[in-house]
Amino acid sequence: MATHDVIGDLDLLTGDRAVTLATLVAASGSTSKKVGAKMVVGESGRLIGGVTIGGCVDAQVIEAADEIITTGGRRLLSISLDDDEAFEIGLTCGGTVDVLLERIAPRNARDVIAAAHRAAHASLESGQAAVIVTPLDGSAAALVVTETGTRHGSLGDMALDDAVASIALDVFRDGSRVETIEDRRFFFDRLAPPMTLVIVGAGQIAMSLTRMARELEMRSVVVDGRERYATRERFPDADEIRIGMPSDIVGEIAPNQRVAVALIAHDYKYDLPVLRQLLRAPIGYLGMLGSTKRGAAVRELLRDEGFTDDELARIHTPIGLALGGKSPPEVALSILAEIVAVRSGKRG
Amino acid sequence: MTAFRAVVLEHFRHPRNRGPLADAHASAEGANPLCGDRIRIQLRADDEAITDARFTADACALCVASASLLTEHVRGMRIGDAALVDVAWLHHSLEGEPPPGRRRCAQLPLETMHRAVTALGGAL
Repeated sequence: MATHDVIGDLDLLTGDRAVTLATLVAASGSTSKKVGAKMVVGESGRLIGGVTIGGCVDAQVIEAADEIITTGGRRLLSISLDDDEAFEIGLTCGGTVDVLLERIAPRNARDVIAAAHRAAHASLESGQAAVIVTPLDGSAAALVVTETGTRHGSLGDMALDDAVASIALDVFRDGSRVETIEDRRFFFDRLAPPMTLVIVGAGQIAMSLTRMARELEMRSVVVDGRERYATRERFPDADEIRIGMPSDIVGEIAPNQRVAVALIAHDYKYDLPVLRQLLRAPIGYLGMLGSTKRGAAVRELLRDEGFTDDELARIHTPIGLALGGKSPPEVALSILAEIVAVRSGKRG
Repeated sequence: MTAFRAVVLEHFRHPRNRGPLADAHASAEGANPLCGDRIRIQLRADDEAITDARFTADACALCVASASLLTEHVRGMRIGDAALVDVAWLHHSLEGEPPPGRRRCAQLPLETMHRAVTALGGAL
């Protein structure tokens, strides 16, 4: 279950007639959570996910969520992170968080918020991102816009739906945010399918990568030409195991920014054909195991074949952040750390 | 550098006939299960002879060089003759025998070519 997948979360709360969905819609100052982070508070008291950094702040959200399960409706909760003792003694960084709380009846077909998440879930299942737009005032309403432009639900006004759908296109690129339209505030919640980590080379590092990728909510695909290496016994956590010509296989994967490819075969027989296939594909990350010297030699070979310096600069090699570890799990950790850094717009 | 090594590197750096063959009449794939070499050879032919031969490979330099030489060689060759191309010809073209542990790398394209030629016979 992914924390962004609310319907998946709700499925865990079978037996609860109603839940409160808490969504972090805005944050200023320092917070470890991203806008869009969610927590589901069940009628039975169960909790899934989290919207704040924890402690007393989470407690305020849970208390308000419990109340909404009983009273119904929705509420925007603003919490200052500056007004407790921790701030006075310098143990918190300050700022504010705005959390939208909404009561949902997951099995009620007429519940518009549940219906919106169901539609978004279906979009994610088909590999397409979706934006759920909800007003931060008034009664519950939601419009879902998928990456292909399909709409579900309404905010109650066709002109408003059109304006919102237009902004949603920017949100797909830039991420979740609050927008004001004609003096009303709306939360644009971008939900993206999980990142796909394609691992070429079914060795020990790959085994560690698939285990850790699951924890990071990445979908992992192990690719190798060798049946004896790419086995389910060796990769119980892989979402997919593909045996065949690696360059053919990576060529079949729809390229987009949510695809990361780690070339860890450390074998030019796979590295070169796969790089030829991917250097001009719009994927989010491309890393290759090997020394700086080996990386330079690979780039030189591909430069001779007509690849440009900009294209060759896309290869992260030596792969991974320089954490200093040498064991397969340590190398896997450094690779995933680099992928997370690149995805977050930091230098890998 | 030995002549053998020079031939292998030249064909690896500048492979002949690499890439898929559109509308191929026959195709065969081969793999070395332990080293992971993978190769596909595709052929086109008219009634008598092979008119085009191409290969796709995720494979080592020796395997790529062997495929490059073979596809050059069988172009224009009568189909029956292509089935007779053997290891001796391959070693001669490579200007030397591969080291014992690498012979499978050179022979994989040859075996795959033979299967493609057999398939071609059935397809025509």
